[in-house]
Amino acid sequence: QGAPIRWRMQTYAGAALGEHVVKPAIDMFNEIADGQMQIELYYADQIVPTSELFRAMQSGTIDAVQSDDDSMASPTEVTVFGGYFPFASRYSLDVPVLFNQYGLKQIWEEEYAKVGVQHISAGAWDPCHFATKDPIRSLKDLEGKRVFTFPTAGRFLAQFGVVPVQLPWEDIQVALQTGELDGIAWSGITEDYTVGWADVTKYFLTNNISGAWIGHFFANQAKWDAVPERLKTLMKVCFEQSHYYRQWWYWGGEADLRVNGPKLELTSIPDAEWATVEEKARLFWDEIAAESETKAKVVEIFKTYNAVMDKAGRPYRYG
Amino acid sequence: MPYEMIALLMFGGMMILLLTGQRVFAVIGFVASVAALALWGGGGSALPFTSAIKLMNWYPMLTLPMFVWMGYVMSESRMADDLYRMFHVWFGPVPGGLAIGTILLMVLISAMNGLSVAGLAIGATIALPELLKRGYDKRMVTGIIQGGSSLGILVPPSVVLVLYSMIARQPVGHLWLAGVVPGLMMAGLFILYVVVRCRINPALGPALPAEDRTVPAAEKLRLLSAGLLPVGIFAAMMGPFVYGWTSLVEASVVGAVVATLAALVRGRLTRKVFDTCMVQTLAVSCMFMWIILAALAFGAVFDGLGAVRAIEGLFLRDMGLSPWTILILMQLSFLIMGMFLDDTAMLVIVAPLYVPLVAKLDLGMAPGDALIWYGILYTITCQIAYITPPFGYNLFLMRAMAPDHVTLADIYRSITPIVLLMLLTLVIVMMFPQIALWLPHLVYAR
Amino acid sequence: MPRVLILYVRWVEALNYRIGRLAMYLLFVLGGVLLWSIIAKAFFRPSLWTQEMAQFTMVGYFVLGGAYALQLGANVRMDLLYSRWSLRRRAMVDAVTVLAMIFFLSVVLYGGIDSTLYALEIGERSRTVWRPYMAPIKIIICTGVFLMILQSVAFLIRDIALLRGEKI
Ligand SMILES: NC(=[NH2+])NCCC[C@H](N)C(=O)O
Ligand code: NA
Ligand code: NA
Repeated sequence: QGAPIRWRMQTYAGAALGEHVVKPAIDMFNEIADGQMQIELYYADQIVPTSELFRAMQSGTIDAVQSDDDSMASPTEVTVFGGYFPFASRYSLDVPVLFNQYGLKQIWEEEYAKVGVQHISAGAWDPCHFATKDPIRSLKDLEGKRVFTFPTAGRFLAQFGVVPVQLPWEDIQVALQTGELDGIAWSGITEDYTVGWADVTKYFLTNNISGAWIGHFFANQAKWDAVPERLKTLMKVCFEQSHYYRQWWYWGGEADLRVNGPKLELTSIPDAEWATVEEKARLFWDEIAAESETKAKVVEIFKTYNAVMDKAGRPYRYG
Repeated sequence: MPYEMIALLMFGGMMILLLTGQRVFAVIGFVASVAALALWGGGGSALPFTSAIKLMNWYPMLTLPMFVWMGYVMSESRMADDLYRMFHVWFGPVPGGLAIGTILLMVLISAMNGLSVAGLAIGATIALPELLKRGYDKRMVTGIIQGGSSLGILVPPSVVLVLYSMIARQPVGHLWLAGVVPGLMMAGLFILYVVVRCRINPALGPALPAEDRTVPAAEKLRLLSAGLLPVGIFAAMMGPFVYGWTSLVEASVVGAVVATLAALVRGRLTRKVFDTCMVQTLAVSCMFMWIILAALAFGAVFDGLGAVRAIEGLFLRDMGLSPWTILILMQLSFLIMGMFLDDTAMLVIVAPLYVPLVAKLDLGMAPGDALIWYGILYTITCQIAYITPPFGYNLFLMRAMAPDHVTLADIYRSITPIVLLMLLTLVIVMMFPQIALWLPHLVYAR
Repeated sequence: MPRVLILYVRWVEALNYRIGRLAMYLLFVLGGVLLWSIIAKAFFRPSLWTQEMAQFTMVGYFVLGGAYALQLGANVRMDLLYSRWSLRRRAMVDAVTVLAMIFFLSVVLYGGIDSTLYALEIGERSRTVWRPYMAPIKIIICTGVFLMILQSVAFLIRDIALLRGEKI
């Protein structure tokens, strides 16, 4: 048994959220690895700013990363699909199905191999809702709102008058208090409560622009290759475990907090009106598909998948 | 290498190199870079540069040059002269009155700039010569000017609290308001100190002679209006901010613009004044930013090498200390570091350690409140750091600006009572957190 | 001192002075951008580019102004011992410790060049909707840091000259 392997992993999440979305899995890994390998976990911007995260992993400053492709601006063809690609999925179970049964996993692995990064696994997070200081009851209410959101979601939402703003994740709560932001379109209600955003916003919009976030674990290729097979397997299992944790944590949390959460008032945009957003999303898909072959392939997969789900009917899709 | 060893090497190396008198930012950055290259194991060389990007993303730092600019416009355009005359005329007749007036002047100036350098410049160039001419005790008055000017970081707006707010992730508005009462309290203690000493020994602060006192009532009233200017600037900046109409960064621009307009309207913004303000603002901003950049690099390396965990373990597990003991130890370490180190550097470096700790300590208040209160405690230790040798910003400036017959020994001695009063404030605010928390709770009550 | 070195010091210092004096005015650009942001928010629609533009300007301000600030002596030192030393003594110590500054700045520059090349290679853009290219600001940082290194070397030459009893 040689010297222990030490990895630094940085997640996109701040400490409060990381407590749920990643820490349990890392603790478990460290415990089972029993001194042969140790992953040290760092939170949002702790070692390098999120905008430099990809490069830092590629060049070995950080050994591993948990993030969506979009927020860490991976230089790949699949980056726009990470995070929240508008209306690509309805439920969090859609994500593992898309990756494992519909071929996204292979595409991601190939794309990241091209840039010297190991794609370890993809998992789902929560749906993307608005939490705001003023109520949103129609599309018109979105106009001029400065909102913290994902790059691609921001690009999509800009056509409705939303003003997307990028700030370090940990600064969001304060930015809402100091008036830099009017709201967030970043997460579901579980996260709003967990990270304190529910304390500084008042309203929660029940319509969402995506049913599940797509995020991943990645590693620097050379570092990954240097890990013994047994530990690689262990790592994969622990990361899968983290995906599983999030499946029930968010799924249960979303329902519970809508019904029992004391801090946010729920509002909705009528379905008919929201349908225009969904239509715009299809146009957005085509726009993206036109950008490259790989992108077209991914969009095609989304289309196929959603068509199957629609045909399958309840409980997969309700009209 | 064990984490404790790394922590020791990095801090020890920094302290020793600081003694050589090389520029503070260079020393901090050098230690960070060497540690990154030697100990990180691949890719460490990227960390100093990524700190620049981190700093760029710190949006509230945009307020720094604005608040600094405001201060320099105040001091260089001599807009404070009238202000000074106002206090002079109104307080002159009382024994020690000019000194009291100077303290009040410092409070008003603190409300218009985010640091303390401009306050010190005004104090040392306008108030000090006048006080000395009137036979005031030189040690007493150099002391109160240094102490009074340091209120600039406790009374809003405060750049130090902006920086703290970013690191502790607490709203600046709350922090600024939390600084108001402790700041006024500290000023009150300074005044009390002057009153008591002059009561005991009137020779320390002679009342104005009769011929100087006969100022017509109309003139007295006119001068009173001089006090409206700072109040107006303060209100124009803080009002909309506290009410949420402007964001922090916008508020700083509003403040800078209003102060500049005031100077323009009064015809005080000459070419020369303008140029000095520009150069000084650049100089101070650069100094600040480079120290923060280096400290960010130091912090990231320190953290990434695991040294933070070592110290955290020491505090929380190994020594089994009570929350209050931990809190007091932290303050002591701030006081000691503050003697030798730049305040922002010490914050950026140790905050990743202390801030989560404070949030976790069981102090009988919400973590948010604890962090706001702690921010005020930290700021008071910074004030002490500003005036304590060997490394103190106000000390440096005072040395550079004081009239010749105020010797270095005078300056060093002058600070003892002031430091004691600051410590007293620190202890009082520690014992009664409500002094800090009352105002933000009142204003931001939901 | 060799004439080249003297010329180097003169040139570098003159250059940094000019660049610094120009960078100084970025304060107004910064103020202007932020003012526009306030106006746009109040009367039109919050603008998409002001925040980042302000951040870029701020970085340009303190990075391009960095070398001039060094000349101004703005960067504080802990002068417990330093203030008691003779000029000669200071020059002696500085001549060694300035290498620490040069080293630090070089590491910043090294990381900066790597990051800039990466930004150029992939056409890196910011993640905002405005999506500015990131290479320009990274190039500005590298330039500023490089100028600061040049200035530090000029300090070194000055110190050596002083030790040899020459004036530049
Ligand atoms: N930077 C990111 N990748 N953020 C992902 C956020 C998505 C999801 N709401 C979460 O925070 O878990
Ligand atoms: Na102030
Ligand atoms: Na000090």
